[in-house]
Amino acid sequence: MKERKFLGLRRDWKPEEAESWTREDWLAIVISPLAYALLMIGLALLLFLRMDGLIIFLAGVGATILLHLIIDPKLKAISSEYEKKQKEYLRRLERVVRWREAE
Amino acid sequence: MIRFGPMDWIWLATYLILMTGCGFIFYRLGKRSEADFFLAGRGLPWWIPGMSVYATHTATDTPMWVSGVIYKYGLRGLWYTFFSAWCAVAAFVSARIFRRSLAYSQAEWQSLRYSGLGGELLRGWMSGWGSFLNMFILGWVSMAMGKLCHYLFGWDNWVGLIIPSLIVAIYVLSAGYWGVVMADFQQGIIAFYIIVFASIWGIRVAGGPEGIVARLNALGEGWRLNPFKFSGFFSGDFPLAWFLTMIFIAVLGGFGMGTSIDWYAEAQRIQSSRTVRDAAYSIWWGTALTLTRNAFWAAAIIAFFVLYPNITEPSQYEMAWYRIAFEHIPAGMLGFLFAGIIAIHFSTISTHLNLGAVYLTRDIYHHYINPEASERKLVMAGRAATALLLLGSFIYGLMMEEITRWLIFALWIMGAGMWLPNILQVIWWRFNSWGYLSAWIANLGFSWLVVWILPAFGVIPELPDYLQFWALMVLTALVYIPVTLLTPPENKLHLAKYYAMTRPIGWWRPIKQEALRLGLIREEVKP
Repeated sequence: MKERKFLGLRRDWKPEEAESWTREDWLAIVISPLAYALLMIGLALLLFLRMDGLIIFLAGVGATILLHLIIDPKLKAISSEYEKKQKEYLRRLERVVRWREAE
Repeated sequence: MIRFGPMDWIWLATYLILMTGCGFIFYRLGKRSEADFFLAGRGLPWWIPGMSVYATHTATDTPMWVSGVIYKYGLRGLWYTFFSAWCAVAAFVSARIFRRSLAYSQAEWQSLRYSGLGGELLRGWMSGWGSFLNMFILGWVSMAMGKLCHYLFGWDNWVGLIIPSLIVAIYVLSAGYWGVVMADFQQGIIAFYIIVFASIWGIRVAGGPEGIVARLNALGEGWRLNPFKFSGFFSGDFPLAWFLTMIFIAVLGGFGMGTSIDWYAEAQRIQSSRTVRDAAYSIWWGTALTLTRNAFWAAAIIAFFVLYPNITEPSQYEMAWYRIAFEHIPAGMLGFLFAGIIAIHFSTISTHLNLGAVYLTRDIYHHYINPEASERKLVMAGRAATALLLLGSFIYGLMMEEITRWLIFALWIMGAGMWLPNILQVIWWRFNSWGYLSAWIANLGFSWLVVWILPAFGVIPELPDYLQFWALMVLTALVYIPVTLLTPPENKLHLAKYYAMTRPIGWWRPIKQEALRLGLIREEVKP
């Protein structure tokens, strides 16, 4: 099966592969603070209707979208295994609590 | 002083009913177990704890602090608020590691990361410090509310200090973290809406965006709209060296746990998220909203500057946002604005009441006093701890004026010399509990020396805060690095279990090999 990619970065992850720290994580680490700075400064300037504010703010929005495109598939893969276990735990807890309340 | 009309009272009453209603609605969920009372059963989608992150980061004193730096430095002051950008990295690094540890609190995480006596000492210390710190923050924020109510209504300070906290206690005591996080969700929306509305209204009152820019230029203050207007590399009131230090501390701090005081509240939100992905997005989006809010505040405070450009007394210009909001809001909206301020206050108080109770219940009562306690007993202990913190916060709040200076110093200690150890404990397997403990002790001593004693005797000049940071970082490292290397590493089996559970980033190769040898993890599949 052909691997899905975005700008040369992986979009398909198996949970056991996603466990390791890869260049997708490092890219997220670099882009994320940049996105914050661009959004904050861009919006502040945009509130004074400045053109540079609009450009910076839009760059911040772009960085945020890029960040999520890069890291979301990996986070989903890490979480999918865990979510199964979590659901089972909550089901068990619910059973125990109902049993105690019925006592 | 302001005067409420009937519409204002209706806004306020509606809001209070909504908030305290959370206590009744989520009462049954909160009492199910310790995990429910403190972590909402670890099952929340990211947008609920995310809004809680935002609401908690917005306290009654936050607009005062932001007003102070923006009025003084213009848009450059926004970088003072950029410290919260540690979440940019933490969202994808330490949140992932912490969520997988399943620790209820940072104190519990210490005993998962470190073993033996050192691990226990750290857990005990962190839980005691955590309880104290939350009580202190409660007192501090309540006092700010007392002052605000005095400014608005002319009430004595103690009224604003005690009454709102008692109302919050209704839903925190009954529903625990379920009540906190669900109320936070509503509070976050209300607070964000009112901040945006009041700020835009303030800009309009000051002449609109173009009017403000023209007026700033006429005053010769156009530089206030330049966020990169540095006064020199080391010189002046806004040196580039400070800016670079701040970016360094904020961004790299995300690799560690506890590098910012806000970490401890975030840790609870991370752990209450249903998956690692939800944990990451909760703090990322919560902080993005916080920084966006700062931009709205900044614009409104610049508007205030245009209206009142000659204020020199910090205690007066620190009220900039409150003044432009309360003095110019349209008729009928005053109660809504005050409800927004109450929302800001409630979210902070509720968070720290429940968070402080985690340490007292999970790390002290459950871990040391009654390890076999039933879920029912643990929930009861959680409620008792909440009541104790509430009472303590009133006492702190009333004596705050005298102790604030000392406690700000205590917080600075946490931020400076402990910054690197807080990162090392996450990324370096060899860093051990004795190194971490020695860092705490050394940092305490060096902070006294560098900040107060040596400048007082003229041995060294009084250093600006960013140079204090570097000095304390280096001096403390001279103690904890040798201590770490001269004492044995943590138990390898303990570390291997920790590694298998959390998969930390950084230098962990020997531990990874041990975990593989023990069969705790499988050989990595190369992506």
